Amino acid sequence: MQGMSLIVKTVTRLVAGFIVLFGAYIVLYGHLTPGGGFTGGVILAGGLALVVLAFGEDYARNVLTHSWARVGDTMGALLFLLVAVLGFVGGVFFTNFLPVGAVGRLVSAGTIPVSNLAIGIKVGAGLFGVFVALAVFRRTAAGGQEPGQSIEPDA
Amino acid sequence: MTLAMLPFILAFLLLVVGLYAIVAKRNLIKIIVGILVLDYAANLLLVLMGYRTPPAGGAPVAPILTGGAHEADALAATAVDPIPQALVLTSIVIGLSVTALVVALAIRLYEKYGTFDTNLMRNLKG
Repeated sequence: MQGMSLIVKTVTRLVAGFIVLFGAYIVLYGHLTPGGGFTGGVILAGGLALVVLAFGEDYARNVLTHSWARVGDTMGALLFLLVAVLGFVGGVFFTNFLPVGAVGRLVSAGTIPVSNLAIGIKVGAGLFGVFVALAVFRRTAAGGQEPGQSIEPDA
Repeated sequence: MTLAMLPFILAFLLLVVGLYAIVAKRNLIKIIVGILVLDYAANLLLVLMGYRTPPAGGAPVAPILTGGAHEADALAATAVDPIPQALVLTSIVIGLSVTALVVALAIRLYEKYGTFDTNLMRNLKG
């Protein structure tokens, strides 16, 4: 998968930062406006997929690799589990232990923003990993192969 | 079968259309589209269950707080239920993940058999 033309690359350099910023805004304001972890993660994955599509698969092998997607995936899951286990500070598993502020403020609603952040990281990294595995990994030839050969990542 | 049940009947009709595409079609891509339509019909039915008319009369509004925290009680009296909408948001992203998995399977099947026809996939020996 080669990169695209010079026009697409220049516009992507200007726009990709704003797409990631918009995704982060949807994730962090999830307890105030419609959105939250899932939709913000999808927007983040879309922005990263745009960069990989515009700059070719060499960018996906050297800079935004599949190992970074795996790291982000597990970090999101571990952060969510940490929020749930830290509920033992309040006495019960997964209970709220942060202060619940006033309605409408950004720093409020207890552990919900932290959960949103964890889910946003996990969904973004996971969907970007799915995109890289479908589009970038080199596949073996079709037909006339043993059933044991399967999709393999490149070197 | 009153007129108020018409949205539910149409959402159920969409579900039946998706189910028909899964069961009766031979092409693998059409089966995948049937899976998608079935998923979206289920999400639509969930959002429709959250609709309610206000007890004081008048038209219901979307549950978005635009006037600040002191208008929360006034909004709660006239808005539709926001919890089904929040849960359907996650369900839509789950549908996206299911789509990615099914499309990956379709790519792999095409590379192995060279066709999208499921009837031929039973006869070829790979």
